Amino acid sequence: MHSTRRTFLGGAAGLIAAPNLSFAQTAPTRARTLRAVMHSDLRVFDPIWTTANITGYHGAMIYDTLFAVDENFAPQPQMVSKWGVSDDKLTYTFELRDGLAFSDGEAVTAADCVASIRRWSARDGFGQHLFRRVADTPVVDAKTFKIVLKEPYGLVIPALSKLDPSLCFIMKKKDAETDPNTQVRDALGSGPFTMNRDETRAGNRYVYDRNPRYNPRAEAPSGLAGGKVVKLDRVIFENIADQATALSALQNGEIDFYEVPPQDLLDTIESDPNITVQGLNKTGHMGWMRLNHLHHPFDKVEARRAMLHLIKQSDIMKAVFGEKRWKECGAFFACGTDMENDVSTEWLKEGQNIAKARDLFKAAGYDGRPVVLLQATDHYLANPAPLLIAQWLRQAGVNAEVAASDWGGTVTRRSNRKPPAEGGWNIFITAATGYGFSNPVAASGHAATGEKAWFGWPENAKQEQLRDQWALAPTLAERQKVARDLQANAWDYVHHAYLGQFFRASAWRKNVRGIIGMPEIVPFWNIEKV
Amino acid sequence: MFAYILRRIASTFVVMATVGIFVFLLLHLSPGDPAAIIAGDNATSEQIDGIRKKLGLDDPLPVQFVRWAGDVLRGDLGVSIFSNEPVFKLVGQRLQPTVSLALLTLCVAVTLAVSFGVIAAWKAGTFVDRLLMVVSVVGFSAPVFVVGYLLIYVFAINLRWLPVQGYTPISEGILPWLRNLVLPATALGLAYVALIARITRATMLEVLEEDYIRTAVSKGVSTRTLLLKHALRNAGVPIVTVIGIGVALLISGVVITETVFNIPGIGRLVVDAISKRDYPIIQGVILIFSGVYVLINLSVDLIYTLLDPRIRYQ
Repeated sequence: MHSTRRTFLGGAAGLIAAPNLSFAQTAPTRARTLRAVMHSDLRVFDPIWTTANITGYHGAMIYDTLFAVDENFAPQPQMVSKWGVSDDKLTYTFELRDGLAFSDGEAVTAADCVASIRRWSARDGFGQHLFRRVADTPVVDAKTFKIVLKEPYGLVIPALSKLDPSLCFIMKKKDAETDPNTQVRDALGSGPFTMNRDETRAGNRYVYDRNPRYNPRAEAPSGLAGGKVVKLDRVIFENIADQATALSALQNGEIDFYEVPPQDLLDTIESDPNITVQGLNKTGHMGWMRLNHLHHPFDKVEARRAMLHLIKQSDIMKAVFGEKRWKECGAFFACGTDMENDVSTEWLKEGQNIAKARDLFKAAGYDGRPVVLLQATDHYLANPAPLLIAQWLRQAGVNAEVAASDWGGTVTRRSNRKPPAEGGWNIFITAATGYGFSNPVAASGHAATGEKAWFGWPENAKQEQLRDQWALAPTLAERQKVARDLQANAWDYVHHAYLGQFFRASAWRKNVRGIIGMPEIVPFWNIEKV
Repeated sequence: MFAYILRRIASTFVVMATVGIFVFLLLHLSPGDPAAIIAGDNATSEQIDGIRKKLGLDDPLPVQFVRWAGDVLRGDLGVSIFSNEPVFKLVGQRLQPTVSLALLTLCVAVTLAVSFGVIAAWKAGTFVDRLLMVVSVVGFSAPVFVVGYLLIYVFAINLRWLPVQGYTPISEGILPWLRNLVLPATALGLAYVALIARITRATMLEVLEEDYIRTAVSKGVSTRTLLLKHALRNAGVPIVTVIGIGVALLISGVVITETVFNIPGIGRLVVDAISKRDYPIIQGVILIFSGVYVLINLSVDLIYTLLDPRIRYQ
């Protein structure tokens, strides 16, 4: 065979083209496709295996839930048509609505639901709390099942409709029977979208197509409840790692929706006539600081109390978000939630008092040992906040040391229970939604069970007793009353400390309509491009 | 010669084994735990421990190494801890954008750089020479990401001539493919242009002083023939050498360029894998790269014998 430069070039071009021939498939039109950049890369597809929010978003695309909360956070039936509770409050009976099917065409059955609930309850904190009281989950027929309790529990429906990860998504029985510590391999559900695995490129883009078999409820959409009517053919989660690039892509019309644009540039993009800037989560996020209760000095309550007087929330919020979209908040259950109250928040009203903090550290017997703050240099809050806090600690006579790493290093080190000098830590910082904090049972960070608690391992018997009391309270008013007691106790022994409440805005092209604003999840049904 | 090639290929395996051990230890001894990242922010220590155990990450390091090395020897680089996709498949998906970007950059950069270098040497000491050298110095000094953002601002945001980001496979047409690669290839190529242009100029100046050039001039050879046929050909060896050395520069630049322009190439794959501690991907890609790099070095050594028949390997 005679080789020429032309045949060589042709061959090279063919080689380059070969791996991507699948891209040449017919795709929906641009007008029926929404390209979105979310807050993080979708790393894991199993929403029960991980508590990552982005996987919760993925779950809400392809799976459905038995119940869902509306815009007022009130639980509403979703896959369930009828449900009831026995007079002794021990047996809940659920009947599935007609026409529910997985995206492969198989009908959703009660057995799928029971298996899914059981797997969820093995992983999720709220589910575990519920299932400590569950005696049995019998399947009655193809569409009906029961949850039988050992004792009355007022939060069965709120648990099944919980909004923060992990949500109780319904999977096929064979998937739901996967070990809870192993990732489910098939991304197949009965939700409003299906995942297009052929077009998806892990780490690059995740493609969801409208599920033609999805049967939405007749009601208007409200929060995650109501009719999930899909008005697009395709939604693509584009993973654009660089914020400036993503923002430029939005301005250029290459993407349609940007969940968390750089907050310090919001004023600039608000002036763009083609872009809408709006917050979607009315409960915002709480920046919070976990103190390690196992080691000196925060094993002493006085040192933990010192931190309440040391923090100036407004300085931290300004450093991160500028002048807008934040507020100071001392409510243990976050501001703007049903459980908000101002019991025992004098420390916030008095403002920063470094002299008082210094006295409290002395009272705690602080001996000059380095206090290690974990700084995640790639995290919007955990990068700047430790620097400010370290400076305030030094002013209060504390030998503060900042240990910098990326977020991956921080989440590894925070699970180290050893003393700071042996690779442990004293303080680490993160953020969670205000909605997430509003539920003392669902939020793993509210547990005070010592070694079994979330990182920082606080232990307080009264807190645990009050959490149980809150869960068993039959009415909202009674739960709010217990919440006040919980807050008084939490700020007395100082479970953790807050850095302020902030409200991150999203941005999207003006031709995108129908976005539903909720905490924890961004729903992609009801959205259309006009 | 044949024995030499065999010895070099055998040494490739030794190098790759060393790289494998080094990368494995470096990753597993440095801070970071994929189980903690998988479990998510709200997970408890108990949940993280469960995942770690299931993934075999709590096994002793030698056990994990033997397991991984055994798989590699069987030709299996493993699967991503996060996406469950085989590493080979993920690398295959990312190959085209990286190869496209690197080749286009190489073509554009070499064409421009050699032209700049030849012109600068021809016009040595003039304004044109100084201008081209200033451009070269600036190009070499400016970080890729700064140049990238400037190009995006001018050509994508303001003029709207080109897209900000993304990648279109060549199977969807040459023009869309090129539209996505023009800005990144320019940003990446600028440093490369500077490097090659300066070497080309210096070598050309040396060659232009040679007797045979003076002879060619006295024979009345045209300037074009003189520069391209007589001078550039003889200046070619150092230029080709510096192009080869610059490939390493290109590889490191590709990682940043792919991030700035959101090109789903191998550079992005590795950066993402490092941030989430996806060990099989990091280990697999570094092994592949080191293998390719060793083979390229071997090829370069062999090509020397073709370029200069006096070179003989024993």
